[in-house]
Amino acid sequence: MVKVKVFATLIEITGRRILEVPAGNVGELLEKLYATYPGFKEELEKGFMILVNGKNIEHLQGLQTPLEENDVVSIFPPAGGG
Amino acid sequence: MYGNWGRFLRVNLSTGEVKVEEYDEELAKKWLGSRGLAIYLLLKEMDPKVDPLSPENKLIIAPGPLSGTSAPTGGRYNVVTKSPATGFITMSNSGGYFGAELKFAGWDAIVVEGKAEKPVYIYVKDDDVEIRDASHIWGKLVSETEETIRKEIGSKRLRIASIGPAGENLVKFAAVMNDGHRAAGRAGVGAVMGSKNLKAIAVEGSKTVPVADKQKFMLTVREKINKLRNDPVAGGGLPKFGTAVLVNIINENGLYPTRNFQTGVYEHAYEQSGEAMAAKYLIRNQPCYACPIGCGRVNKLPTVGVTEGPEYESTWALGANLGINDLASIIEANHMCDELGLDTISTGGTLATAMELYEKGFIKDEELGDAPPFRWGNTEVLHYYIDKLARREGFGDKLAEGGYRLAESYGHPEYSMSVKKLELPAYDPRGAEGHGLGYATNNRGGCHIKNYMISPEILGYPYKMDPHDVSDDKVKMLILFQDLSALIDAAGLCLFTTFGLGADDYRDMLNAALGWDLSTEDYLKIGERIWNAERIFNLKAGLDPERDDSLPKRFLEEPMPEGPNKGHVVRLKEMLPRYYKLRGWTEDGRVPKEKAEELGIGEFL
Repeated sequence: MVKVKVFATLIEITGRRILEVPAGNVGELLEKLYATYPGFKEELEKGFMILVNGKNIEHLQGLQTPLEENDVVSIFPPAGGG
Repeated sequence: MYGNWGRFLRVNLSTGEVKVEEYDEELAKKWLGSRGLAIYLLLKEMDPKVDPLSPENKLIIAPGPLSGTSAPTGGRYNVVTKSPATGFITMSNSGGYFGAELKFAGWDAIVVEGKAEKPVYIYVKDDDVEIRDASHIWGKLVSETEETIRKEIGSKRLRIASIGPAGENLVKFAAVMNDGHRAAGRAGVGAVMGSKNLKAIAVEGSKTVPVADKQKFMLTVREKINKLRNDPVAGGGLPKFGTAVLVNIINENGLYPTRNFQTGVYEHAYEQSGEAMAAKYLIRNQPCYACPIGCGRVNKLPTVGVTEGPEYESTWALGANLGINDLASIIEANHMCDELGLDTISTGGTLATAMELYEKGFIKDEELGDAPPFRWGNTEVLHYYIDKLARREGFGDKLAEGGYRLAESYGHPEYSMSVKKLELPAYDPRGAEGHGLGYATNNRGGCHIKNYMISPEILGYPYKMDPHDVSDDKVKMLILFQDLSALIDAAGLCLFTTFGLGADDYRDMLNAALGWDLSTEDYLKIGERIWNAERIFNLKAGLDPERDDSLPKRFLEEPMPEGPNKGHVVRLKEMLPRYYKLRGWTEDGRVPKEKAEELGIGEFL
């Protein structure tokens, strides 16, 4: 199981801030979330930020980034401020 | 001339003289306006060595050529002066409605000089300008000041910029407040206003800002507004959750400064995030003039009623950086800062320094007497000391000097997380090294908005860069951000438009409004000219690059203790020489004659 933390508008879609999902890599995890929560995929269509243990998957292996037991995945829809 | 009026007001408070001065289009093409026009005037007229709180310092309040037009976010203005906090230039920027109103009155800037004998305020109604007595409002809070002046003049249209008790008491980080809760916040511009005995500037105008090609401008503006509305950040995350949507993002990325930057992960971040604020206290959004984004928050609390804010930075400064996680207390503290006229970032940064000095045993209980101890997480500290420091009472008098001077007075300046004595904002540079280089080289010291490298390094705008990469590409991106930010400030727009707009978009709007045919490179050159001119001002004011283009020791020597950036420090020494070189400066960080002449500012060297 990996621990998935979702933020901003994604919380309304999942109804919870923290989920537990079994998945071998980030791509597989997203597919499971898309299948379970209607609207999740649409919310990420314009972009997303996905972190595995705080590191952005853009600097890891993207959607192929492998996941291990107890990894923490943080998922954000596009957001910014300052 | 279009966009700009080509004239500004010069008000000498020592003599009471009010003059109208004109400038031509050639000058506008070089400096654009606002932050650009202001640094030109300061370099031309003022010795950068003046004491910031003396009558010799000048306070320039200036909207830009797009302020007061329909360009998206065209309501900004800058307050430019020599900072009493840093001893260098500051260009503190604010939104709301005041900047646009000053343009409606027909002015590109007000240059305030000298010092009034007694408290005064300036009333501008189109071409009529009066210096009025303000003895009866001296000492009043910002909301009371606005209310009293509004009643006195009897006009609903009035827009007011004023100082609170903090500015009157020359607190080194006092702000100039406008429209109640908007602040030209940083580096003590409010103290400069207070040193001149100037309580407020009240403005009303009836003019329409002229644009060169109305039809073309309208179509261009419409296109840019659509771009912003369709952008997932400017049109989505920001309006919905406000700037504090960043709390969780920055915390999950491991650079949310906690307990005076001792770590970059805060265990209670969610409780003070934009998401939590929207769920608990938010009533509605509050946009500034002509803004399609609307990131401002209007919150309601039983204790303070309806109030605006806090923004991301304020939430952090008065929260995580002090180990405080009670959002209601943070909102109240933010409200107090607005009313007293204080910069929230430096207020929080100074209190955090006091807390670390207390933790390390340098500030002792005996010294505080019955006042609350500076323990991490103690919400009493917020409400007690914010009031005391604004009034310079008791220990508040020490705090009013800012975190650097406070820490220095105990012999430990290293506990002040500041650059050029200005307290740092809400990003630990050990998690974004280009942003760290930005802090070190920023013309006004520890500031994020003049070089927001968080955008590429964390958020992925305009594209994602590795936060720990320190290559030339990173340094070049920082230089571009610095020049572009100077351009946007000089135009009179909000930096949040960069979530959705690029350099070409600003070129389109400026050309249509001003009737020019400049290229994107020409406009970026204006930004570069402004940045270099400010650097020249600082060097003349006594900036020592080796000493001042630096970061607190913590970021250079203490590796981040936990989280995704564990083990990292900022490799400033690797980046800084290349920054100087790519800027075209000398190896020791000075602007050489060739560079100054290339930019047409050789006369100021």
